[in-house]
Amino acid sequence: MKFINHLMFILPLMAILLGLEFYLVFERTTNNYETTLTEDYRILVVSKTPLELEFFQDLNEHIITTIEIERKGIVSNVAEGISKDNANAILNALPYFYNIGLDAYLETSEIEKIKQTLESNHYIKRVETFGSSHSSNYKLFSFIKLILEVFILFMTVVSLFLIMKQMEIWKYAHKERMQIMETFGAPMMLRSGVLFRVAFFDAIIATICVSILFFYIKYSWASQSGIDMIVKNRDVLFQASDIMVLFISAIVIVILAVYSVVFSSKGVED
Amino acid sequence: MSNVIQASGLTLAYDNGTKSIIQDANFSIKKGEFVFITGPSGSGKSTLLKALYGQLKPSTGTLVVGGNNLSNISRPKLQELRTHMGIIFQDYKLVNEWTVAKNVVLPLMIAGYSNEVQDTQARRLLKHVKLAEHADKYPLELSGGEQQRVGVARALSKNPVVILADEPTGNLDDYSSNVIWDLMENACQQLDTTVLVVTHKIPTIFSLPYRHFIIENRGIYEVH
Ligand SMILES: Nc1ncnc2c1ncn2[C@@H]1O[C@H](COP(=O)(O)OP(=O)(O)OP(=O)(O)O)[C@@H](O)[C@H]1O
Ligand SMILES: [Mg+2]
Repeated sequence: MKFINHLMFILPLMAILLGLEFYLVFERTTNNYETTLTEDYRILVVSKTPLELEFFQDLNEHIITTIEIERKGIVSNVAEGISKDNANAILNALPYFYNIGLDAYLETSEIEKIKQTLESNHYIKRVETFGSSHSSNYKLFSFIKLILEVFILFMTVVSLFLIMKQMEIWKYAHKERMQIMETFGAPMMLRSGVLFRVAFFDAIIATICVSILFFYIKYSWASQSGIDMIVKNRDVLFQASDIMVLFISAIVIVILAVYSVVFSSKGVED
Repeated sequence: MSNVIQASGLTLAYDNGTKSIIQDANFSIKKGEFVFITGPSGSGKSTLLKALYGQLKPSTGTLVVGGNNLSNISRPKLQELRTHMGIIFQDYKLVNEWTVAKNVVLPLMIAGYSNEVQDTQARRLLKHVKLAEHADKYPLELSGGEQQRVGVARALSKNPVVILADEPTGNLDDYSSNVIWDLMENACQQLDTTVLVVTHKIPTIFSLPYRHFIIENRGIYEVH
């Protein structure tokens, strides 16, 4: 088969694989980013009395950690040079501070709700939330992600159509041979053996090309990119297991494509 | 002796039975018989062969080949039946992207013979049809008559039980024609192969007894 015929099959296949890999990478990067955001996000609670984790969890199930901030540390800074009694008085007057961790990255409205629940409790004097700048970053990020996913989907559909078109050409090129073989009693696998070999070969080529591209992005481009999030998440950019995912996807597409040729070129009964 | 081919009330038609070519034909052919089929152009000679190798199903009547009723033969059975047939097409039907040698041994390839067997058989058969030096060429590099002989060699390569030949000497001079007739006579005589040959000219020198069918006006008649 001519080189151009291979290319016309390999390129759309690569487009699908690229889309798939971008999707995988994006999913992983976002997950990582969300984890970072969740860890960074803090609610600070000021209360009159000591409070247990269970108390907070009764108020909202998203709360999974509380860290009490050492009051002695605060006092020792404030009470430098004053007497021990006075220092103790300050300590007693000082409220309790808790740093509250959440189990997931929540929408601003959710956070607002938690904040209100906490504030309405009469043990709690004050609630402060930190991380609103993350929120807008995250929104932009989600938006870009959505656009990318739509684009990937679109590209995949277009590529599938291109592959089907290319299959028509293959069908034309192989039909005569397959029909001659059929009149001599060749079973289906033998008739279409060449097609499968060619298609598997193309699937391997496409997988290798996409893998090389992502290896390049991971090991060369990523570290020089200067994009903080990419440098930090370099590990999830491309993983060895992805090669397997890409290869299996390519093979599945190839098998479907070849079967479509084989079954539509039977045409024996006049 | 058993009938290899048996047709009764056979009607063959195209276009979903609306265009009938052969109507209500009855004949039988025994194992090892040599049959010539003649008739005007467009009378349905190729159509009859098509039916015999199962490419065209009978519209009505029955056609039994090698014990298989072709009206309702299953796909695997038909595949199996075809591996015992040597078909020579009027338009050769060679695979143009394969070498001449590979074309010749297609039936052996399908039967799963080793490459060595295929190779030696290819050389031997090509020598028989006087094409030994063309083994590694491609069909389109050969003349029409040469391609026709490749088709003959292919049909004979696996010692078929039945040979169905459509104008096997249509493009050949007398010398080459006689080479082909000799090959077919040998197959018939030595291997008891049943041979059906469509031709417009029955050879004048022919040593075997043969039968002669004429297809005309949608009927198949035997000349005695
Ligand atoms: N696939 C087809 N669909 C419809 N009609 C067909 C088809 N093949 C052949 N015919 C018609 O059937 C008739 C018989 O054709 P066939 O090829 O059997 O003739 P033939 O006897 O082999 O002629 P020739 O000596 O020219 O080869 C012709 O009128 C032809 O037009
Ligand atoms: Mg004909």
